[in-house]
Amino acid sequence: MLHKPNSALLLVGHGSTVNPDSSAPTFDHAEAILRMGIFKEVHCAFWKEEPSLRQVLHMVDSEEVYIVTNFISEGYFTRTVIPRELELDGEVTRRNGRTLKYCESVGNHPRMSELLLKRAAEVAPGVNPADTSLLIVGHGTNLNDNSAFAAKREVDRIRDLGIYGEVLNTYMEEAPLVSEWDTCTSRPNVVVVPFFIADGLHSYQDIPVLLGIEQDTGLAASQRDVFRQNPYRLRNKTLYYASAIGTEPLFAELILDQVTLFDLQHQADFSPETSTHNLSK
Amino acid sequence: MNRNLTQSIESWIAQGCRSIGQIQITPLPEGRYELRHTEDIARNDLTTYSEASDARALSFFDDSDVYRPLKTAPTLRHGWSLTLPDSTALRHALDYFYPAMTAIWLSHLKGELRLVPLRETLERQTGMYAVAKRLQDDEGQKLVGWHCVLEKCMKRTLWDFAPGQPLSQLAAEARTLPSGAGAPGFQEIPLICQEACNHLVPACRETVKKRERLASAEPGQPPQNTATT
Repeated sequence: MLHKPNSALLLVGHGSTVNPDSSAPTFDHAEAILRMGIFKEVHCAFWKEEPSLRQVLHMVDSEEVYIVTNFISEGYFTRTVIPRELELDGEVTRRNGRTLKYCESVGNHPRMSELLLKRAAEVAPGVNPADTSLLIVGHGTNLNDNSAFAAKREVDRIRDLGIYGEVLNTYMEEAPLVSEWDTCTSRPNVVVVPFFIADGLHSYQDIPVLLGIEQDTGLAASQRDVFRQNPYRLRNKTLYYASAIGTEPLFAELILDQVTLFDLQHQADFSPETSTHNLSK
Repeated sequence: MNRNLTQSIESWIAQGCRSIGQIQITPLPEGRYELRHTEDIARNDLTTYSEASDARALSFFDDSDVYRPLKTAPTLRHGWSLTLPDSTALRHALDYFYPAMTAIWLSHLKGELRLVPLRETLERQTGMYAVAKRLQDDEGQKLVGWHCVLEKCMKRTLWDFAPGQPLSQLAAEARTLPSGAGAPGFQEIPLICQEACNHLVPACRETVKKRERLASAEPGQPPQNTATT
């Protein structure tokens, strides 16, 4: 059991200046972890919301800070933007009496496939997976190559398990398009799980229009009275649409696992013999 | 380093501090605290809340249920009071209402707050924001004068445009701390901007892009240098 009574956890999310739901999962997971009492303090920071990456370290009292990025994949943000804004030297940064430990992104966790399967099963209870096509929807542009890569990796893993009749990647902006969900699938049931961190612009407002279950992008998820109702009988198929995978409460466990993994990978670095060395990598 | 923000907040309130931004802070018996909108002081019809995490929902939308991406905008919703059991919960709630603001004030008091000029912020941008490096001085000064006024953001903008180049289009009140801030028994925790935010940097980008787009459209103009710098 992880126990860090003298350390802080910093969760970093993207956030949005437009959609109020973008930061919600990051805040939710932080609150869940705070209630567990594992860390002395738990904070969030965002690229597009407050507290910003430039503000957040002022909020931390602890000398040891574990930083976990709540991003669906490693990429431009986790490798360039976040280290730059937090002024990190590498996986370990020592500055002003603090040790900042930069952990792997939550989306890299090997249990992601398990969470996708859990979400798919929950959204379509009692539906035979063998008669079901499972679609994992990613963004899919050149700017998000790494998220597309991560989505493909998850689809390969889930397909290899042989649970669903069919497991496919689809994308918002490149083929195979999620808007063609009915023609790219062969099974009567279709379960769609957005491979996104939040029910933000894409998963709650854009993809439902592409699927044909909404006519316009409408309000943000938090500003609607009634969440969508599954299933949808559409285009001669039965469609089940799930919330973004990042809203899954088990994400909190994955975040904690990334801290444990960091400690395992850096045990030698923090042994008494080496603790005064420059540890940047 | 030696920081305990919770104790610092306790100490400020014990010495008479009673507000931050649009929030009135009232110490109650048994170490509890009550928060409410400063304009709701005399109201007795408020909806009551008791969890620090309630502050998150209260801070996210204004009176018209419009999303507030900038928490220091003077648009805090009315009609609530939040009673908190202790100073830990108080700190947590204030971090939702005014993210990082108590912490930045503590850093300022301890002499640990680095003020970052706008030029330095723009120079380190990459990707889609790299274009903001080509912002001209007069464009930048006007943008700050437009975006950083107290009517839009209650933070005091303490950074310069560039080293030795102060902000020329922003009223003195918006770029200096309130008088008495930090003196013994100060009444209000000031909101401080130590570096350009994620609203101003995109505005800088848009300004450069618009100018370069217009210049490219003018006949007889040499082609723009669009290389990423």
